[in-house]
Amino acid sequence: MVDTAKNTKLFTSYGVSTSKTVTPEIAAKLISKAKRPLLMVGTLTLDPELLDRVVKISKTANIPIAATGSSLASLADKDVDAEYINAHMLGFYLTDPNWPGLDGNGNYDTVIVLGFKKFYINQVLSAAKNFSNLKTIAIERGYIQNATMSFGNLSKADHYAALDELIDLL
Amino acid sequence: MSKLTTGSFSIEDLESVQITINNIVGAAKEAAEEKAKELEKAGPTLFPGLESYRDDWNFKLLDRYEPVITPMCDQCCYCTYGPCDLSGNKRGACGIDMLGHNGREFFLRVITGTACHAAHGRHLLDHLIETFGEDLPLNLGQSNVLTPNITISTGLSPKNLGEIKPAMEFVEEQLTQLLATVHAGQESAEIDYDSKALFSGSLDHVGMEISDVVQVAAYDFPKADPEAPLIEIGMGTIDKSKPFLCVIGHNVGGVTYMMDYMEEHDLTDKMEIAGLCCTAIDLSRYKEADRRPPYAKVIGSMSKELKVIRSGMPDVIVVDEQCVRGDIVPEAQKLKIPVIASNAKIMYGLPNRTDANVDDVVEELKSGAIPGCVMLDYDKLGELCIRLTMEMGPIRDAEGITAIPTDEEFADWVAKCADCGACMIACPEELDIPEAMGFAKEGDFSYLEELHDQCIGCRRCEQVCKKEIPILNIIEKVAQKQIAEEKGWMRAGRGQVSDAEIRAEGLNLVMGTTPGIIAIIGCPNYAEGTKDVYYIAEEFLKRNFIVVTTGCGAMDIGMFKDEDGKTLYERFPGGFECGGLVNIGSCVSNAHITGAAEKVAAIFAQRTLEGNLAEISDYILNRVGACGLAWGAFSQKASSIGTGCNILGIPAVLGPHSSKYRRALIAKTYEEDKWKVYDARNGQEMPIPPAPEFLLTTAETWQEAIPMMAKACIRPSDNSMGRSIKLTHWMELHKKYLGKDPEDWWKFVRNEADLPLAKREALLKELESKHGWEIDWKKKKIISGPKIKFDVSAQPTNLKRLCKEA
Ligand code: SF4
Ligand code: SF4
Ligand code: SF4
Repeated sequence: MVDTAKNTKLFTSYGVSTSKTVTPEIAAKLISKAKRPLLMVGTLTLDPELLDRVVKISKTANIPIAATGSSLASLADKDVDAEYINAHMLGFYLTDPNWPGLDGNGNYDTVIVLGFKKFYINQVLSAAKNFSNLKTIAIERGYIQNATMSFGNLSKADHYAALDELIDLL
Repeated sequence: MSKLTTGSFSIEDLESVQITINNIVGAAKEAAEEKAKELEKAGPTLFPGLESYRDDWNFKLLDRYEPVITPMCDQCCYCTYGPCDLSGNKRGACGIDMLGHNGREFFLRVITGTACHAAHGRHLLDHLIETFGEDLPLNLGQSNVLTPNITISTGLSPKNLGEIKPAMEFVEEQLTQLLATVHAGQESAEIDYDSKALFSGSLDHVGMEISDVVQVAAYDFPKADPEAPLIEIGMGTIDKSKPFLCVIGHNVGGVTYMMDYMEEHDLTDKMEIAGLCCTAIDLSRYKEADRRPPYAKVIGSMSKELKVIRSGMPDVIVVDEQCVRGDIVPEAQKLKIPVIASNAKIMYGLPNRTDANVDDVVEELKSGAIPGCVMLDYDKLGELCIRLTMEMGPIRDAEGITAIPTDEEFADWVAKCADCGACMIACPEELDIPEAMGFAKEGDFSYLEELHDQCIGCRRCEQVCKKEIPILNIIEKVAQKQIAEEKGWMRAGRGQVSDAEIRAEGLNLVMGTTPGIIAIIGCPNYAEGTKDVYYIAEEFLKRNFIVVTTGCGAMDIGMFKDEDGKTLYERFPGGFECGGLVNIGSCVSNAHITGAAEKVAAIFAQRTLEGNLAEISDYILNRVGACGLAWGAFSQKASSIGTGCNILGIPAVLGPHSSKYRRALIAKTYEEDKWKVYDARNGQEMPIPPAPEFLLTTAETWQEAIPMMAKACIRPSDNSMGRSIKLTHWMELHKKYLGKDPEDWWKFVRNEADLPLAKREALLKELESKHGWEIDWKKKKIISGPKIKFDVSAQPTNLKRLCKEA
């Protein structure tokens, strides 16, 4: 099993609270238990290796995708439930209990993020961290301080392996 | 307050005595206020203060475009009660909460930017009055409306340098008031900080306008000239066989003396003068009103500063103010490049040689006795910099100074890399340096080479590398070919948009045949590299938008060529017209971009400018399809420029790094009661589509930014032709860059004529099947469905007081 809970050095932000590290196992449990999860996907998923895993997570756990940036371009023909929304806008709407969500059925309780530059997702999540009760799980290659839970900093290969483990456990 | 006013008088009996009163503090404003009383029509906010725009306009904007706060840090370290933990919106020991503190932090950025431009304006204004006198006319080209931003704020329409002084004083006075609110124990409400930030943004455009109009008038810059000359741009344009004077900063004052000295001594073809940032743009505008063959060159933006120094090319570096790196002296010293500080805002701890003899200073610097000096006397500065460059050139050549590693050094450094990944974590661009090093070890340098354009030259990677690898030099070494080919063209900043251009284009903008104005401005903190802005500009130009540009954006757009070897400036006309690429000028020229939108309201729609910000902004928000792009916004000035656009109803898209500004303005498209305005004809409420849906937000990639901006040009009062043209562009661009038609296009449809012509039938079908609208298929007409009615003569406004029956 990939040890995703070490190396939490960060350079993008600072402050008093940092996210808890998770293993793929715990991440998978939390995702499976979520009542209304949303998979928030950034443009780095244009990388085919990552794209493949995004599709698997969405299909295996039956989670809709918020395709931010230009990621929808690669998800449009993948037979997943994906809709475009700007990440900054989504980050704001997630803090509003009255947001009807992407499907009109209400806001989400858990957001899983993947495929972002660290500095960007960290800023977007800082609104949710400070002004809402939303649970956010970062399964990125880099440690994301402002998520509720996050993998540590990983090598590319370890990251792929960790995602595969997570998918197996879903 | 004194009742004396600015002017001069003589005392009769003492014939040879003349007392001239140049300026009495407060009197200028008093005179201006007197004049304001004479104005036949003026709005309610002449000489506004901190509270003036708050209830009538700012809170209306902030109600729809809600402040989105994304703190950079959980703590407040502002006073000695702290540091306090504000996470989860807790309150600190002084009582301020996380929202209030971050509102203050963003506001502080905005007033810092405003102060930078205003101080720059003050410096130029005083210097130019001293040099040319108060009566120098503001000759800016074919315009009656010369200073829309000054006029909106103060009601004044200055016609010469002297008449600008009251506006300058007004900005300075309000800035002091604004700065005071940042003190601990003052304002604590986030929303009020936002209102104050918006006010500061409006002042910023006054400060910028002052800076640019005085330099255009006094330095003979192009005056609203669509055919201003083309200027060489890029690191590759420098002729390394000549001595090279490199200027960095934003204030052209000192550089004009260097150029004059070069011209007087017949040196323009014997040495190179080129620069980084806005001083470079403005030196390429100097005396170009008559389109003489330009000789000054532009190297590029701030991200190139360290790269240019490390290349060893400059023989002398002169800095003035703003966007100048803090490590220029130590970096330059390693390569024996003397640094001259020419402006009191940056003195670098260097010895001040303002009072010394130029011959002595040349000797001191040449010998390396001092690494550089401060020189604030412009006459001496001009002589010193040019003479020193001519002397240093051969000296440094003979020593063969360069920081670029040799092939052997390069191979050694690459071999040393331990693949620890520390540099990648430290790199603000998150560049995968370890991976590129790995490939370089195997002889594949393409990965390292790719980093060159994305790298902003900050050297954070070098600081953390335990193996002490000079990573920036490694990247530059492999990119030598790329750098040599960095040669492009930029049209010299042409100055404001003329009244005639506004008159000619106003109708097209309202009809939608010109689908919108895209303003590409700002700094070089891009996420994926410089070419992003080129792609964006090209896409919009090909679609007949007007693309206006300033500052680093204007430079970077000119850096790339199409397959025929042509830059965008060569391919598209320079006028404010359909499909025009309009380089307005340097950062301070941004005031002419808001000025153009204000002029559409004033000239085209006959709205009063004087003291009338809310009504002008209301008009722009509802009717003028304009959207800004500050793709690499990094500085505080970028935040004040953007906030000044926002108060005027112009939305802006920023690059992903700008999420670190901590504050965006985004509307909730799903809250229907936010999307209502009044019809000024009868005061009735009318629903509008969610357009524009933000005033300030970030995009993740340039591909995402394009459809966002096209959508942001849709405005409530579009007529059917305009709406269908704008929908066509937005939907096509959404499909092209995001792979699908947008989901919410139907929200903008009021009747069948609004639909894009080419897809009308298919879209009618979708309206029927997906949204349950009733269609009369014989007439191909919508019978029922749209929530929004369309009435050509409706006058949408957010201001109840403008309504007839209010
Ligand atoms: S110098 Fe370039 S590669 Fe190094 S940290 Fe800065 S941006 Fe990254
Ligand atoms: S955080 Fe900003 S101000 Fe501080 S050193 Fe870095 S770039 Fe400079
Ligand atoms: S920090 Fe230095 S040693 Fe470590 S990966 Fe980067 S270049 Fe290599």
